[in-house]
Amino acid sequence: MAEILAGLSAVLAWQVLGFLAIGVCLGAVFGALPGLTATMGVALLTPLTFWVSPEQGLAMLLGIYCGTIPSGGIPAILINVPGTPASIAASWDGYALTRKGQAGLALGINALASTTGQLTSIAFLAFLAFPIASFALRFGPAEYFGLTLLGVSLMAGVSGGHVLKGVLAGTLGLALALVGLDPMTAYPRYTFGMSEFLDGISFVPVMIGLFGLGEVLVQISDRQSAQVSAAAAIGRVLPRIADAKRMARATFSGAAVGTMVGAIPAAGGDIGAVIAWEQARRTSSDGDSFGKGSLSGLAASCSACNAAIGGGMTTMLTLGIPGDAVSAILIGALLIHGIQPGPLLFANNQAFVFSIVFLMIFASLLIMVIGILGAKPLAKVLSIPAPWLWAGIIVFGTVGAYALNNAVTDVWAMYAAGVAGFLFRKTQIPLGPLVLGLILGPLMESNLRRALILSRGDWSAMLTRPILLVFLAATLLSLLWPLVRARRGRAKRSQDTVPDA
Amino acid sequence: MRHADTICGALLAALGCALIVSGAAFPAAAGGLPGAGFFPQSIGTLMALLASALLLRGLRRRSEGSFSIANMREVAVTAALLLAYLLLWGSGWFVVRTAVFLAIMLSLLGQRWIPALGYASALAVLVYLAFDVGLNVTLE
Repeated sequence: MAEILAGLSAVLAWQVLGFLAIGVCLGAVFGALPGLTATMGVALLTPLTFWVSPEQGLAMLLGIYCGTIPSGGIPAILINVPGTPASIAASWDGYALTRKGQAGLALGINALASTTGQLTSIAFLAFLAFPIASFALRFGPAEYFGLTLLGVSLMAGVSGGHVLKGVLAGTLGLALALVGLDPMTAYPRYTFGMSEFLDGISFVPVMIGLFGLGEVLVQISDRQSAQVSAAAAIGRVLPRIADAKRMARATFSGAAVGTMVGAIPAAGGDIGAVIAWEQARRTSSDGDSFGKGSLSGLAASCSACNAAIGGGMTTMLTLGIPGDAVSAILIGALLIHGIQPGPLLFANNQAFVFSIVFLMIFASLLIMVIGILGAKPLAKVLSIPAPWLWAGIIVFGTVGAYALNNAVTDVWAMYAAGVAGFLFRKTQIPLGPLVLGLILGPLMESNLRRALILSRGDWSAMLTRPILLVFLAATLLSLLWPLVRARRGRAKRSQDTVPDA
Repeated sequence: MRHADTICGALLAALGCALIVSGAAFPAAAGGLPGAGFFPQSIGTLMALLASALLLRGLRRRSEGSFSIANMREVAVTAALLLAYLLLWGSGWFVVRTAVFLAIMLSLLGQRWIPALGYASALAVLVYLAFDVGLNVTLE
């Protein structure tokens, strides 16, 4: 109880709440603008948190994360262009409602269902994170090696049908993580005599480059424009009580599905929302109306994509494994502030964990208020010319990367990562596994080598550990399952094309 | 570009081989335990194998790995401007340098000169105030 109160009192400081409010507002703008994602927002603003306390810095970053996902539904609803990948399913029913003249109601449902989803998943974090972390305390180096391997392979396995490229990207991330001092012997590797590389490749500039500058170059190339006029008429925002009652089941089942899916490494809100929407459609008495402006369909998808935040945070905080690119950056930000996510965080710094829970609750409530009261102003954000946004991203990204160490080499790293990110996207090489490989590489190597030291170099002794075997089996399954599914799909297609005799 | 997968595969296979060779030069650990070169060589081997598979797939199915860059001129000009901006980093006059860079970039991306210059100047001043004045990051 004392830890809960300590966590709450740390959050109730006006500076922390101020940073949280700034983060939520910035997140709302980022989400409302198609092309600007939560990943980009958190990556761009991470350098700004270096000058403040961990609570203040994390308040801003969590505010951005919790603010971006709900407001990503705004352009999805108004102009059928999802603001973030997680909002794809929201456009199916949301845009149909806009075309029926019920844009305000759709925006209101988006705000309410998003907050319900977030609060449900935060409850999951608050009640289940401690038992999970307590179980994870049994993990030794061998289990951690297995867990990191599973994290990278899961991300690679769901890389949009490009499993080979996904695994290669993960391997490239692991290779980049080799730069710097060997974690066991401190022997310099691939530093080319430059002292800047002794600490390894700076993670934040690479993230800003890959997800900020790289995305800008892709948008310039594709000329994806954010200059779309939103619907002029917004109308009534809050749903009637009868409508709210009808949507309750879909909202809570969406929250449960989103939380579970979000807790699985690599499966984020986009996947959770689609699964929740489909589940709500199958179990609804008016499933035929889904995709044509169903209030329950919209509520299920909005609730699920936001619930994935708490699910992902649970995995990230308890196991130290980032579930997606945003939580990967959050881990980087926590490490910079001297906080190592993982089971020991729950044993040694429980008050900080509760601070995160309270920050997420406040962010969630604040974004609901912004979502309801600010629907019209946020819709106007859509009319900002895209080149102006690109200019802002470039200059903030450049100065943010430089500010990390006051080193121009970090800006070079960011620009190189930006060009690489552009080329990777064009060649359909996924960025997620690369980032995970870069973050988890040192953890994977040091734990594998520690495990081998403990077993005196005997590999077979490692294979007697049941938890490690489970992780290795799950790794194999995550890599082979997409291949099996693709083969089945091809076989089914070829059967379908065989003409009847 | 029709040979994207082939080129990616070849480059990454070469990188994998380089990791294997360079890893062999790192000091070994005593007692048969893995040394500093163990992980680079393991990663290098995995990368070389996977990249070879991508290379072969690229050679077999050339059309699948192809990609094109639309608006090549704008992308190239933006990249060149970024390079020039970076090369001039630390030469002083941060606000002026940044405003000019952004205004040129915006005008080349189809924005009108005067609004572009106004926006670029405001953005440069905002960034200067936030980082140099507010956070003590030396930008000049």
